[in-house]
Amino acid sequence: MMEPKLTDTLEDTFKRCRALEAPLADRLQAFASELRRLIPSFAAAVDTLVSRLAESNAGATAPKVGEPMPAFLLPDEQGRLVCLEDFLSKGPVALAFNRGHWCPYCRININALARAEEEVAAEHRHIAAIVPDRQRFAMWLKSDAKAPFPVLTDMDNGYAMTLGLAIYVGDELKDMMVSSGWDPSVSQGSDNWMLPIPATFIVGTDGIVRGRFVDPDYRMRMAIEDLLAALRTAT
Amino acid sequence: MHHIRYFLAVGETLNLTRAAERCHVAQPALTRAIKALESELGGELIRRERALSHLTELGQRMLPMLRQCYDTALAAKKVAASIRNGEAAPLSIAVSHTVALGRFAPTLRELSRALPGLQLKLYRGSGSEVAEYLRLGTAELAIAGPLEEPWSRLDSLRLFDEPFGLVVSGTHRLATRDTAEFKDLASETLLINTGCEMVGELRACLEANGILETAAHQVATQEDLLALVKADLGVAIIPVGTMETNGLCRIPLKQLNLVRSVSVYTFAGRQRATACGTLFNMLRAADWGFNTGRSNRPKLVDDGTQAH
Repeated sequence: MMEPKLTDTLEDTFKRCRALEAPLADRLQAFASELRRLIPSFAAAVDTLVSRLAESNAGATAPKVGEPMPAFLLPDEQGRLVCLEDFLSKGPVALAFNRGHWCPYCRININALARAEEEVAAEHRHIAAIVPDRQRFAMWLKSDAKAPFPVLTDMDNGYAMTLGLAIYVGDELKDMMVSSGWDPSVSQGSDNWMLPIPATFIVGTDGIVRGRFVDPDYRMRMAIEDLLAALRTAT
Repeated sequence: MHHIRYFLAVGETLNLTRAAERCHVAQPALTRAIKALESELGGELIRRERALSHLTELGQRMLPMLRQCYDTALAAKKVAASIRNGEAAPLSIAVSHTVALGRFAPTLRELSRALPGLQLKLYRGSGSEVAEYLRLGTAELAIAGPLEEPWSRLDSLRLFDEPFGLVVSGTHRLATRDTAEFKDLASETLLINTGCEMVGELRACLEANGILETAAHQVATQEDLLALVKADLGVAIIPVGTMETNGLCRIPLKQLNLVRSVSVYTFAGRQRATACGTLFNMLRAADWGFNTGRSNRPKLVDDGTQAH
């Protein structure tokens, strides 16, 4: 019998982890553990990147609670230009920076946000995801996660960079990502291999950050309960 | 973001003292910032030798990548500020008259909705005129077929490809045909748009298929060409992907394998103003059908295991 292709095995593993009836952190952890078992060298390269980023305080300068969220104007998956003010005029918003449609952790994260959306919308609060992927891929990520909220395109990680969230993947991980079927260059329309540090900001209608999650370890995301709590207390 | 700005200044001056001056910062602060960036990237970016600095191999690779992100980031900051302050946002673009504007109208409409201060200047011209508009700075951005410019001073991005096809008037004898062949054109008068970016390729293709240009009329714009085809003065072979051809019939021409790509161009190294930078990124982000080389289209499979 033929060995199943690595990319297929990874996709199956991902689907199992995404479907778990468990908190977001557990679903992410389940995939990370499976990946460590399947490709130990990949997990080791990720560990190296993460500790390097942590040591150099990557992401530390991103807006903190109490600071203003910088304005943006980005196209959504339909090509409509959306600015921060558009959200804030309707209520507090959670902005979730994700790495792209190809990233299993982001797909789990967006899926978890989609599950939370109904609760959020009833309370006049909103969610938006921001990815460096172009529209076709942003649209795909949105449908894949059944997300009712917009997925905005941040070309070249320009907005992420103004927040100090854009990082270079590194040569070692780059090659490993390509062979695992996770290649952001096509969806980004650029070969520069920059990615955003996944981060979530809860912004009040006054434009001030009310909740913040930034972790250079992209396997970690803001817990949905924390996000909901911060969104609820934001005005 | 200042780390990146300092590194870009070093990359461009290859001199720490001058880079520090350019960034209005003391040299030790600049050196510290570069060290921080190096630790984040996991490798040295510059090697110091007396007064001069050299970029390492990693530095050389990172320079254009960080430049691109930085420019986009800078543009992102500017556009947000400009909307807040209700500033005027002038935008001059040149579009080849072989490119139908219709396909770009929704993008322009969206831009004008989001930027209330938008002041659009739209130029039309042949391929070489469009290139000239860019070179002179009359236009900040151009949309055209392949531009015959020897200079590598254009940043270009391919948006989509479109095939050439035959167009005839609604009352033409070929109008009811599903397909046509070159031999059907033997008795026809051709109309040729000398302003088309691919007129050279078209002529070569006609010659190779035994069509003599002696039986051809020449026009200089697509608009005139379509008007004359409509008036039954002749038939034409033009890019048909986006063209609005009301009252005309498009017929696939067998053996014709001519395709042209439509790209967006800006002048390399020139700072993009607010509206231009936004439009450039909108065009890059948009879905143009993605027949642009590498295809890695995501397939959506509903496995029923998703949100409920």
